[in-house]
Amino acid sequence: MKNGLKSAFYGIALAACLPAAPALAQDCTVKIGAVLPTSVDWGRPIAETAQFAVDLFNEAGGVKGCQIDMVLRDTQVDPKVGVDAAKALVDLEKVPVLLGAVSSGVSMPILTSVTVPSKVMQMSCCSSSTAFTGVAADGKTDGLWFRTFATTRNQSAVAAKLVQERGYESVAIFYKNDDWGQDIGRLVQADLEALGINVTASVAITDGQASYRAEVTEALKTQPQAVYMALYPAEGTLVAREWISLGGSQKMVVANSLKSDEFRDNVGLQYLGDVVGHDSAQPRTESAAGFVDLYKAKFKSEPNGPGLPNSFDATMIALLAMEAADEAAGPAIAKAIPRVTDPEGEKIFPNAEGLKKAKEVLGAGGSVSYQGGTGPVTFDANGDVSAPAVAWGFSEEGTKEVTYYTLDEVNAFIETLN
Amino acid sequence: MIGLVSYLVFFFTITTILAIAVLGLNLQWGHTGIFNGGVVAFFGTGAYAVILLGGPERAGEFGGFDLIWPLAMLGGMIAAGLLALIVGLATTRLRHDYLAIATFGVAIAVETVARNAEYWTGGAKGLRGFQRPLEAAIGDPFLYNLGFLSVVILCLVLVFIALERLVRSPFGRLLRAVREDETAARALGKSPSRVRLQSFVIGAVIMGLSGGLYATFYAYIGPQDLAPILTFQIWAMLIVGGAGNNRGAVLGTLVVWGGWVGSGWALTAFAPQSMQLYAGTLQYILIGLIIVGTLMLRPRGLLPEILTVSARAAQGATPSESRPAMRTGQTTKGEKVT
Repeated sequence: MKNGLKSAFYGIALAACLPAAPALAQDCTVKIGAVLPTSVDWGRPIAETAQFAVDLFNEAGGVKGCQIDMVLRDTQVDPKVGVDAAKALVDLEKVPVLLGAVSSGVSMPILTSVTVPSKVMQMSCCSSSTAFTGVAADGKTDGLWFRTFATTRNQSAVAAKLVQERGYESVAIFYKNDDWGQDIGRLVQADLEALGINVTASVAITDGQASYRAEVTEALKTQPQAVYMALYPAEGTLVAREWISLGGSQKMVVANSLKSDEFRDNVGLQYLGDVVGHDSAQPRTESAAGFVDLYKAKFKSEPNGPGLPNSFDATMIALLAMEAADEAAGPAIAKAIPRVTDPEGEKIFPNAEGLKKAKEVLGAGGSVSYQGGTGPVTFDANGDVSAPAVAWGFSEEGTKEVTYYTLDEVNAFIETLN
Repeated sequence: MIGLVSYLVFFFTITTILAIAVLGLNLQWGHTGIFNGGVVAFFGTGAYAVILLGGPERAGEFGGFDLIWPLAMLGGMIAAGLLALIVGLATTRLRHDYLAIATFGVAIAVETVARNAEYWTGGAKGLRGFQRPLEAAIGDPFLYNLGFLSVVILCLVLVFIALERLVRSPFGRLLRAVREDETAARALGKSPSRVRLQSFVIGAVIMGLSGGLYATFYAYIGPQDLAPILTFQIWAMLIVGGAGNNRGAVLGTLVVWGGWVGSGWALTAFAPQSMQLYAGTLQYILIGLIIVGTLMLRPRGLLPEILTVSARAAQGATPSESRPAMRTGQTTKGEKVT
């Protein structure tokens, strides 16, 4: 009798639960962490773009039917603060995936002291230092580290190619005096010299100064035909103004960090006619469905700022990998990354239909090839991306494309340099 | 639950490491009146030296001596002390704000060297650390962090006890004599510049210890760690806690660092979704409010300095005797603030 009552009770309880179960699945949330420099002017758009990717994914049904909650913390570009924020997200919020950071100097201690020991996957949009490749090659990242910023190696090769194609025989280099700038400055110099192009000067630009006359004069004395600039808009504007006003060559090759309206407007378009920049590229086919349109629809402006497509792709790939992984744990998600970025897989664009299709394919155990804001992303064994490249110039509306280099062309060119 | 404990272990490790640096500054400023505006130079020198001495070989760059960890730490402390000796000798005639500017300049120079001297310091990409001591043997990251916390607490306790003994000793009295009135100290046959140099070097060695622990814990040090903000943070901790009181220095570290990162956590937890993108900016305002608020309520710090002539005099003294000492203490404090 007692048993009968009990099973009846269970039966009712079960019946009550059954219709509720799908509703429950809708109500559940999964968390992902983000540590980004939101208190810095160029950092906030990167965070906004990451949140935008999360919103798109949520509209498409979230990860395995669960809404995604991105928990965002500021790094203040201070390693101590960033590491603490990362640790809090990992321990208190239990995030299996951490997006960030931007500065390599913040990403690195997070990687060594938080994410790797805690077995959390870390995906950075914007850390470009070659030091990460070294750490990964030493096997210290346990395959948990990825970044969607084409390594400096890739960028520098394209810069050298642009110089070569334009027939400049001597070049002066200005580089931002931080980890990214030192890296790319050195690599571009090496690549140019490998091509037999004379590098007349390589000058470090430390940011936050009122004037760069001394640095500009130093480079100007060497009388180069052209100049290469790996700078951010603020100091890039100052350097370009002084360079041009002192009679420097207007033949400039610039890094993707200067692909900004701020730089164009503050220097003046009439001086920037011969400028060509390099950047990792959009996917060529059906790119109308890609990142730029989505971004424009949402923010009513062009995605002109460093790291925006990279941030979008980092977030999307992490979310797709969570969808593909069999459990919500860092190592499992990291293992699922190749299924999301499989060149042989079904091509997926990050819009509503694309994401729905991706979920179907991944749910059925298949693999997809994510076509994002930076192209059809694939990671190598060290978590680095190579990407197709685009040469761009400034125009009335913003920037215009000049030449497109496919991934194969870029890789083949890098081969000739090595 | 285990997550919270794990986070707290991490939080207290950083707090303890910072508290050691604050104690070093307390010896310099709180007890001797040396205005060190370049804390980060000594902290950073210790950190870099420890990784260079204890780290693995780096292709084509200086370092890779692979020393065992205690020796590397010792090297880091010596390096910080040597830097302080050179800086101290060069600035021996500088006081107060002039000394602050000179030491601030030294800190900027150290950061610039770290950022540019690639062969020595790895340049802007920084120095990757070594396998943390005993990490492979312990394995479990939580247990390891717990063990590391006990080591840093042990370091803090040792430094604390040593400093408490030092400032209560006749030498400590000499430090305060120099702080209060150099001319009077000289009239008594003491050499203020020598005393100031000793205090400056001891303080810097303690900061070097803190930097070494920091670099070991993160297994990484880069020029970004040497930004002037760290000097500001250490100073804020000391002023909020109470300059001249070692207990205050430790408490101040807990309050300021807790407020610094706690404000970020609180904003993430409680601010509405639409505000999350601006939380980073709001966090700076909260941090400022915490520091200013504490100072308005407790202008001399949470635990103000207890002024005594000496331990023995305090025991034997009647209230009327100890009062004049208090008064002089307060007026000189007031002068320093302006």
